[in-house]
Amino acid sequence: MSMAKLSFKLNGKSLTVTIPVETLLVDLLREEFGLTGTKVGCREGECGVCTVLLDGTPVNSCLLPAFKVQGKEVVTIEGLEKDDGALDVLQQAFMAEGAAQCGFCTPGMILNAKALLDRNSNPTEDEIRHALSGVLCRCTGYRKIIEAVKTAARVKQDQN
Amino acid sequence: MLDKTEDKRGVRVLTREKIKLDHLIKTPETSKALAGTSVIRTDDPLKVTGKLMYGADYPKEGFLHGKILRSPYPHALIKSINVEKARALPGVVVVLTAQDVPGRNGFGAILPDQPVICGDKVRYVGDGVALVAAEAESIANEALRLIDVEYEPLPAVFDPRDAMKEDAPKIHEKGNILSYDKLRKGDVEKGFAEAEVILERTYQVPFLEHAYLEPDVAMAVPQDDGTMLVEGPMQAPFTVRRNVAPVLGIPINQVRARQIHMGGGFGGKEDSPIDLCCRAALLAYHTGRPVRMALEREEVTLQTCKRHPMIMHIKIGAKKDGTIEAFQGVIYDEQGAYAGLGPKIPPAGGSHVHSMVMMAGPYEIPNVTVDAYLCYTNHPYGGAMRGFGAPQVHIAHEQLMDELAAELGMSPLEIRRKNAFIEGSTTATGQVLDQSVGLRDTLEACAKTFDWDGKTQRTGYVDKEKTKRRGVGIGMGWYRTSIGTGGDGCGANVYVHEDGSVLLYSGITEMGQGAFTVLPQICAEELGVHMEDVRLVRPDTDVVPESGPTVGSRSTTLMGNAIILAARQVKESILETASEMLQVPVERLESRDRLVYDRENPKTCAEFRTVAARAMATGRRLIGQGWWAPPKATLDPETGQGSPYFVYTYSTHMAEVIVDVETGEVEITDYVAAFDVGKAINPKAVEGQIEGGVAMGLGYALMEEIVMDQGFIQNLSLQNYLIPTTLDVPDIKPIILEVQNKYGPFGAKGIGEMPNIPATPAIINAIADACGGRVRSLPADPERVFRAIREAGGPPKE
Repeated sequence: MSMAKLSFKLNGKSLTVTIPVETLLVDLLREEFGLTGTKVGCREGECGVCTVLLDGTPVNSCLLPAFKVQGKEVVTIEGLEKDDGALDVLQQAFMAEGAAQCGFCTPGMILNAKALLDRNSNPTEDEIRHALSGVLCRCTGYRKIIEAVKTAARVKQDQN
Repeated sequence: MLDKTEDKRGVRVLTREKIKLDHLIKTPETSKALAGTSVIRTDDPLKVTGKLMYGADYPKEGFLHGKILRSPYPHALIKSINVEKARALPGVVVVLTAQDVPGRNGFGAILPDQPVICGDKVRYVGDGVALVAAEAESIANEALRLIDVEYEPLPAVFDPRDAMKEDAPKIHEKGNILSYDKLRKGDVEKGFAEAEVILERTYQVPFLEHAYLEPDVAMAVPQDDGTMLVEGPMQAPFTVRRNVAPVLGIPINQVRARQIHMGGGFGGKEDSPIDLCCRAALLAYHTGRPVRMALEREEVTLQTCKRHPMIMHIKIGAKKDGTIEAFQGVIYDEQGAYAGLGPKIPPAGGSHVHSMVMMAGPYEIPNVTVDAYLCYTNHPYGGAMRGFGAPQVHIAHEQLMDELAAELGMSPLEIRRKNAFIEGSTTATGQVLDQSVGLRDTLEACAKTFDWDGKTQRTGYVDKEKTKRRGVGIGMGWYRTSIGTGGDGCGANVYVHEDGSVLLYSGITEMGQGAFTVLPQICAEELGVHMEDVRLVRPDTDVVPESGPTVGSRSTTLMGNAIILAARQVKESILETASEMLQVPVERLESRDRLVYDRENPKTCAEFRTVAARAMATGRRLIGQGWWAPPKATLDPETGQGSPYFVYTYSTHMAEVIVDVETGEVEITDYVAAFDVGKAINPKAVEGQIEGGVAMGLGYALMEEIVMDQGFIQNLSLQNYLIPTTLDVPDIKPIILEVQNKYGPFGAKGIGEMPNIPATPAIINAIADACGGRVRSLPADPERVFRAIREAGGPPKE
């Protein structure tokens, strides 16, 4: 097994690890760093529950070789919580709207929504639906998830 | 739910709540637990931060990895099996075959006829023939490739009607008909003789996959006292324990089953954890080490149970005015290779029995016969999936109602108004519905919000090119609360501490439906404390009382009642103590909002926790145990007559679709779903059940199907087993009606399964209305819709 050094920024912290070259990002996050908020549902990029943000763009970490993040920044669901424990508006909105049922898709949904709101502060329902279409949810019928994203966008605008 | 209106009959109508923004900025300090309030879910803070531990998130250190060698044949004899090479592989700790099962070599939720390890024969592609435990998952997988099995293929059966033939290959010794049941009400011959219109139709539905997003995982950990701990996502810890014990040949009290939060279940995680826990426990038993068994997505599809496929023939007779006179149904229900949950559990349990009881729909029909066959085949086995037997027959009777209405020249609404249950109606089983019957209320509420009358004026082509046509459809339904068997009891413990904090012990599991929120709500409401004062102890068979499985839309109602009974025992001590402290008679005391006070003079009060401390200091009972079972279920085995379930939830759905008549593509453009739930303890959670259920019913209607070829599943992954995405599901508008259930906690009845049931036929009926083509064999994917349009003579001209 050939090993190599990988340096990247994870949830705001710069780090370097030595890992097998074929390691997938999802396994690095879950096994090496214990960041189990990134879920595994299919390992083929279909369900989207393994979504993380790579330089702000949502990617399926189950398909991404870890070395693709060399020198880049990865944000997982654990990275959204501030050091003082304060939650992101999206996380609060998901709770207030009842957008999480079993919760397995929730990290993937929130990260996709975050990427959307970061580039578009006032998305239409259609834009929200397209932004979230890569994550499957079997519980909610998506209604409350979409409402939560709308609510978060409103709150963010009120705050600014 | 903020906007509430009440009509004269006491039917409460709730409409969707608007979220206040200040709610978000600042979480309220105390969330009062009034039943009927949408309190935030207790597990939400863990879910939105990624901190909630699912089975796969637990550390793997110290665990061996278990894997299953599966049969590549749908039906074959095992001639020989050689595991020596696999055993010799470094890192392999044990390889087990059938002879290594110390106890009963069989598991199953009801009938344990599936071998833990097949010895002489395999009955479906996916049957387990050997188990491996190794130091790493990759080594276990490698070991599977080193096992040599010699098979002698046998002729296989893939259709329940073929399985019933006398010369069909026998899948099990006792024959291929696992169960046959019948329902006889009135005189159908006379009914058909008096009918002025008679229709006969056949409807067919395929195997479906639950597609819960969390793949199955089980862990078995041998304990130092000789007991076996099994844990993982599971809907039915008590059923798991009941299976693991005999497989290991030990008493039930030597097995401990602990539930880990589930990433979705939908009925599927009633069966699959039995399978996985028995196998993991067997490996742990032989190695003396903790064993972890995790399935990949394709393995989940291959190995676990599916929604039962059915072929349904119906003949219906009606008067010209739409009054239904006679209904004759035949159900061929395919069980697949093993019995699982399928067979009859007297008096009224079992897949085909549920289908039989509900097949004539929520309509009063004087003369009914139903014959229901449940047959083994060499396919994966059928199990519970949201509605267990009910969605299939609703797909049949709701389409038939529309076809009958068309034949009679009536509107789909009118024919339902004429025949739908009201309070006092008699069902096909002869049960008189004497309370909590809100079916027609759901019809009227739905029609109003959907604007049925207006929308029916606007059907037809929507574009000049005449490629897209709009249509509307309706689906009505009913569904039981409870499982209808002889033993549907449920227990809970409530333990109040001297500081007023409370432990609630319940074996009802959390899979996303919200039980871990609604049950503490009920407990807090009954005791008069706040939501955050109650901590729910997670299901653990060593700790919580027997609660039965988390299935059958039974949790809120049955467990809710058990909790109330347990809480009342403790409350008795609290009120007696407070009576001494305040010098107020017990019957004048009220416990509410962390205070015990005199109703006539509320200023005379004591804090709940002060009273609790005093009660403990004076040796009073602060532990309560509640047990609640529904009124006795009955169903005569000869006639199918009786009262199989004690209460039903009712619903009406309406869908508007646009069908592309050139491609067969369907878009759902509007959707309203109305439900009579008795009482919504947590309205937002009820809405969540409705919206999610409708989406699941939409998948059943338009895209979902396990495609089989000679016993092999052709679509094992989520790439080709499609479920609805954000782009498929419309803006679903839920309506909640509350027609009190006299047996329910605060009037509640079940809601978990009901929502997907009428959704599928509502959409299929809308498609037929839009394009004239009716898809009687699901799913209505573009190809089938396109063909149905051609069979109907092509797209309508205008």
